[in-house]
Amino acid sequence: MSSGPSLILVDRDSYLARVYPLVKLGWVFLVAVFLFLFRSPLSGATMFVCLIALALLGGRVRLSRIAMSGRFILLLGALLMLFHLFSDPGQVAFRIGPFLLTDTGLRQGPVFFFRLSVVVLASFILIWTTDTRDLMASLAKAGMPYRFAYAVFLALRFLPLIQQEVDAVRDAHRIRGRAARTSLSHRAKLWGRYVFTVLINGLRKAETTSVSLETRAFGAFPTRSYMKEPIFRRRDLVLVAVTLALAGGLLVLERL
Amino acid sequence: MSEAFAIVENLRYTHWNQETPTLRGVSFSIAPGELCILVGPGGSGKSTLASVFNGEIPHLLGGSMEGRVIVDGVDTAVGLVKDLSQIVGHLFQDPESMFATLCVEDELAFGPENLLMKPDLIRAEVDRLLVEIGLEAFRDRLVWNLSGGQIQKLGLAAVLSLSPRMVVLDEPTANLDPRSTRSVHELVLALRERGVTILLVTREMDDFLLSQADRLIAMDQGLLVANGSVQEVLRTKGAELRDLGIWLPETVEIGLGLGEGFREGSMPVTAAQTMAALGSRGLLPPVLRGREIPPLAQAQDILVEARGLCFEYPNAYRALRGVDFCIRKGEMLAIVGRNGAGKSTLAKLLVGLLKPREGELTLFGKGARGWSVERLATKIGLVFQNPEHQFLTDTVREEIAYSLLARNIDGKAEVERLVGECLGRFGLEDCADMHPFSLPAGMKRRLGVATMLVCEPELLIVDEPTYGQDKQMTHRLMATMEGIREKGVGIVMITHDMRLVQEYATRVMVMSEGRAIYDGESARLFASAALLDEANLRPTLLQEMLAIYEAEGGRVEGRISSSEDFLAALAPSLRERQRSPA
Repeated sequence: MSSGPSLILVDRDSYLARVYPLVKLGWVFLVAVFLFLFRSPLSGATMFVCLIALALLGGRVRLSRIAMSGRFILLLGALLMLFHLFSDPGQVAFRIGPFLLTDTGLRQGPVFFFRLSVVVLASFILIWTTDTRDLMASLAKAGMPYRFAYAVFLALRFLPLIQQEVDAVRDAHRIRGRAARTSLSHRAKLWGRYVFTVLINGLRKAETTSVSLETRAFGAFPTRSYMKEPIFRRRDLVLVAVTLALAGGLLVLERL
Repeated sequence: MSEAFAIVENLRYTHWNQETPTLRGVSFSIAPGELCILVGPGGSGKSTLASVFNGEIPHLLGGSMEGRVIVDGVDTAVGLVKDLSQIVGHLFQDPESMFATLCVEDELAFGPENLLMKPDLIRAEVDRLLVEIGLEAFRDRLVWNLSGGQIQKLGLAAVLSLSPRMVVLDEPTANLDPRSTRSVHELVLALRERGVTILLVTREMDDFLLSQADRLIAMDQGLLVANGSVQEVLRTKGAELRDLGIWLPETVEIGLGLGEGFREGSMPVTAAQTMAALGSRGLLPPVLRGREIPPLAQAQDILVEARGLCFEYPNAYRALRGVDFCIRKGEMLAIVGRNGAGKSTLAKLLVGLLKPREGELTLFGKGARGWSVERLATKIGLVFQNPEHQFLTDTVREEIAYSLLARNIDGKAEVERLVGECLGRFGLEDCADMHPFSLPAGMKRRLGVATMLVCEPELLIVDEPTYGQDKQMTHRLMATMEGIREKGVGIVMITHDMRLVQEYATRVMVMSEGRAIYDGESARLFASAALLDEANLRPTLLQEMLAIYEAEGGRVEGRISSSEDFLAALAPSLRERQRSPA
């Protein structure tokens, strides 16, 4: 037992954990749609701050967990932003050595940063606040064949396992030390081995799980029962309504 | 044969990706309600055999199968897996990979849900199982947050949720602390009492289970080498099993060492039985003289020192809560304790993968924060539990060479010489050109140790050195480590194997809930029931025997840390008895 994976259900008693899983899934799509409609970085920034607050207060997710899981995405978002800052055509606003920053770049860079970061953050909130089994049950209840619904579940179930595997392999490789005077191709090969190890062990785990499911009568009948089924309540839609009001308001404001 | 619950007839099986058969004509049967133990060295075919009873072989794992397996009257080649799974449950070696859900009660409900049981009946079954495995308080807990023992119990209960009449358990106690091992074994015995037929696969025979099992089967290279009642097999084939490298209880090793005369009638298995047998034959002298106790390493040779060391993970899990310790040159320090006590976190701090936030950690005279992992790697080697994580190249030879290159030893002739030496030292010559991932588990482990030892680190940390190793190879590995320890290298072994601690550790540190609750000689640890209890540990059988001996007025002088030492201590009385047999 150590720190454990960071992309898993955090607290099943939080407000968000009690919201019907399909509503949360729909909410992620809704957030994504609005982010693609926003043109102002301020709208994206407002959504970013609101989602962080939602994760902290509504999902009881610790800031450290958000930071830990989100660091790579933030880095990716920052790279995307830099790319736009220096490559978008427009009027030159600043000059840093040979690099030119255009007015379009200055506007579009942050927009793309928040677009990526907020959509990923919304997906993480879904993972942190949803028992994936409930998501499977609600998808099956909505008419999806349970074998397909379970595939969605397993993908999410494996996310933390793969994360643990990546961490373990990274640690183990660091301890082996770094071969001096190694060529770039050799380093690329080492990276290949990193991926290979994670992949092989991931596939082994997946094979064990798959055999285990069969030997526990999964798929024995066209349908299955559920000891507990998630229940949809109208108040679950508050999340969607508040998001619609906030994002809709931002959309209207930036177009005024 | 007609009364048997499971019948295996002349079974031959070859995995789909292999050319040589793993099972080469295996025949035996298990009676209803029997507790049968299957042992064998690594790669003998035990796990493959464990997969034939519920139809995994041939239906799910493919390959080519000849012969027949009949379970409860059903031919497994003909029956469907969904039907067979209600007759035979299979607990895999890694139950965590078996889990289909995230939370304890959902995991128990998974099987019954697949069988379309009604929700209220499922709930009642889940409640019953939670009580049976003692996890009622953990009903809503996420499976990630369970200890090793709890994971095994949950895996077993998940299998039982389909109400099978037979269960096959594949090494259910591998890597568990001694007390968790005992509680899993108690659960197994309770199942037998309920009439469930049990096949338990293991590498290491436990006196508690062995003394109550009905049948003992041993395999080697895909063939049965022993099959009969526990007593019959131990008496007639015990020496053969020992020579195969199977871990026998120390009591049985002593019984075998004392010759056929001693085990006439029955082979003592528990500590009490053995001491009673020795006493009744007049083999116990008033004083048992062991080896001289080596002095503890001196304080000036400190390699690593920690004062008030704390560590908290970003998710607020406090793994270390103020640990004080030091590691000296030329000592073999064993770090023991229950699963989750903070041992692995400590190892990661020592190699620089984690940085201390509170307290002091000094590595080779410099604060831990001043070391990078890469720089530390030239001084400290860490062998992970899963050696595959460490492999970086395509052959065993290259793997060892990589370690040398990483330490700037890059003269071609020198590298070749050192690699050759290392291959020989670890018995890896024959597989030098094989891919590390294709090696058997035991050899992977050896390669993991070899890649670390070839660079002659100042400190070597090994996480579970005996995991997956047979007895001979363990002793070979430990002898190698002893050799470098004598040259001044500090060795830290993180282990649940109390026999290893007893035999090799010069010092032992016990961890419990992030604290070091004991730091000293192993003999004093084994003498303290309270300490053992707090850390979920148990004394070894040998220590139990010595405790009985001392409680009955005997005196132990020096160090008796293995069955060989015990036999040597009995030698004077044996000679005495031979001189005057009356």
